[in-house]
Amino acid sequence: MTKPASILIVEDDADLNGAYQLIIGSAGYTVLSADDGKQALDIIKKKGDPDIILLDLRMPVMDGIEFLKRYDAPAHPDTTIVVFSNYDAQKEVDEAYKLGAHRYVLKARAAPKELLRIVEDVLEG
Amino acid sequence: MNYGNIKAVKVLLVDSDDDDALIIEKQIEKIPENPFIFEWCSSFDRAKRLIADRRHDIYLIDYRLGEKTGLDLLRSVRPAKRAEPFILLSGAADREIEWQSMKLAAADYLVKGSFTPEMLARTLYYALQRKEIERQRIQQYIDLNQSKDDFISIASHQLRTPATAVKQYVGMLLEGFAGELQPNQIDMLQKAYRSNERQLKIVTDLLKVAQVDAGKVVFQKSHVNLNDMIYEAVYDMRDVFIKREQQVEFDPAEPIPVAFVDYDSIRMVLDNLIDNASKYSNANRVVTISTDESKNDISIHITDQGVGISQSERRRLFEKFSRINNPLSTTVGGTGLGLYWAKKIVDLHDGTISVESKKGRGTTFTVMLPKHP
Repeated sequence: MTKPASILIVEDDADLNGAYQLIIGSAGYTVLSADDGKQALDIIKKKGDPDIILLDLRMPVMDGIEFLKRYDAPAHPDTTIVVFSNYDAQKEVDEAYKLGAHRYVLKARAAPKELLRIVEDVLEG
Repeated sequence: MNYGNIKAVKVLLVDSDDDDALIIEKQIEKIPENPFIFEWCSSFDRAKRLIADRRHDIYLIDYRLGEKTGLDLLRSVRPAKRAEPFILLSGAADREIEWQSMKLAAADYLVKGSFTPEMLARTLYYALQRKEIERQRIQQYIDLNQSKDDFISIASHQLRTPATAVKQYVGMLLEGFAGELQPNQIDMLQKAYRSNERQLKIVTDLLKVAQVDAGKVVFQKSHVNLNDMIYEAVYDMRDVFIKREQQVEFDPAEPIPVAFVDYDSIRMVLDNLIDNASKYSNANRVVTISTDESKNDISIHITDQGVGISQSERRRLFEKFSRINNPLSTTVGGTGLGLYWAKKIVDLHDGTISVESKKGRGTTFTVMLPKHP
């Protein structure tokens, strides 16, 4: 049996983070969660690279952009980074792409099923 | 009279008469505790350049300037838009000149030979002081507007995260994450979900408008294939048209229409217009999208067979928070910000957005966009 894919959720809002964990967990994936970029780096250091990182951009302590700079995404080609974006944050999304993010999800748009579809899409390559 | 601690004030006199200029210079020199640094310029064109350089604090402009007049100079430098006061001088009292200079926002009008150094000083000081008060008041408005923009932005950001969490949890219930639901439970949750969608849209619209009002929109313009953009927009909205039992007609144009625009923002403008066309039409109607081009521009037309917009409503259609009263507007909801935002975005592309409509027959929105940088 192959190991289930691991997905790291990086989101500072506890309710939203909890919702993402429930949605992703329901499909049988291994779910990891962090409240900010710094926690995410610590988790990756301990547990290794996840298959997907779902990354919020605006967070306290360490935001998504700073996380991407420190994580050095191009050096981790097996990890796909999906950033959460908003309509008014095009500039940040563009910056995230430059730093190695692969996709973005409009936060206010993505319903649970759409979120799962994106994850499946990424895993199928 | 003591006018307080006034730092050096640079005065520019524009006067084509050497003798008159010398007299005024002498009068300024006689002002007690004189803070004035005097400079004189005799030609209209040179004065225009000096004024454009903004190196002086106050200007004295004579009415007679060779073939032109001091009023011509005021007209070209526009004192109302300047931070420094302009005072018009003339050789003899003339009501018409005085009235004209006032209309051009001169700070004062003086008749040569009729004032003492003390009177001249008072005129200069008062004019400077009035401009300073005006500057402070403008700054207050700027600060107030800034804090309004900040407030909208912060409030909207704070509202958005919890609203997004509601969307996820209600979405999970609707998608069966917590087991099967009764039809009446589904119905209630669907209503909650729709209200939440509307809430999120309002927050997003507010943020988008705050951003465009604050001039913080960043474009990444490139040559964009509009056939593809329209196709993608229609494709992404297919569920909406199916649900409303409406049809969309779009024949990609030949040759391919290519505009020089920021894909993301123009795509949102297009989404907005197509969504409006559908929202304000009943079932079984057709929304038609087409393009045509001229030498320098491409126009996208979005035509519906909907309720239409009356002439008086068309006039305020692109204003902030404008909502049109029609048989469908109460059911479709809206913030009155979509078209305001769309117009701003199109304007920033040096394009135009226009509307033609017949009440009860339908509406055509046309967005004209440039083909080249």
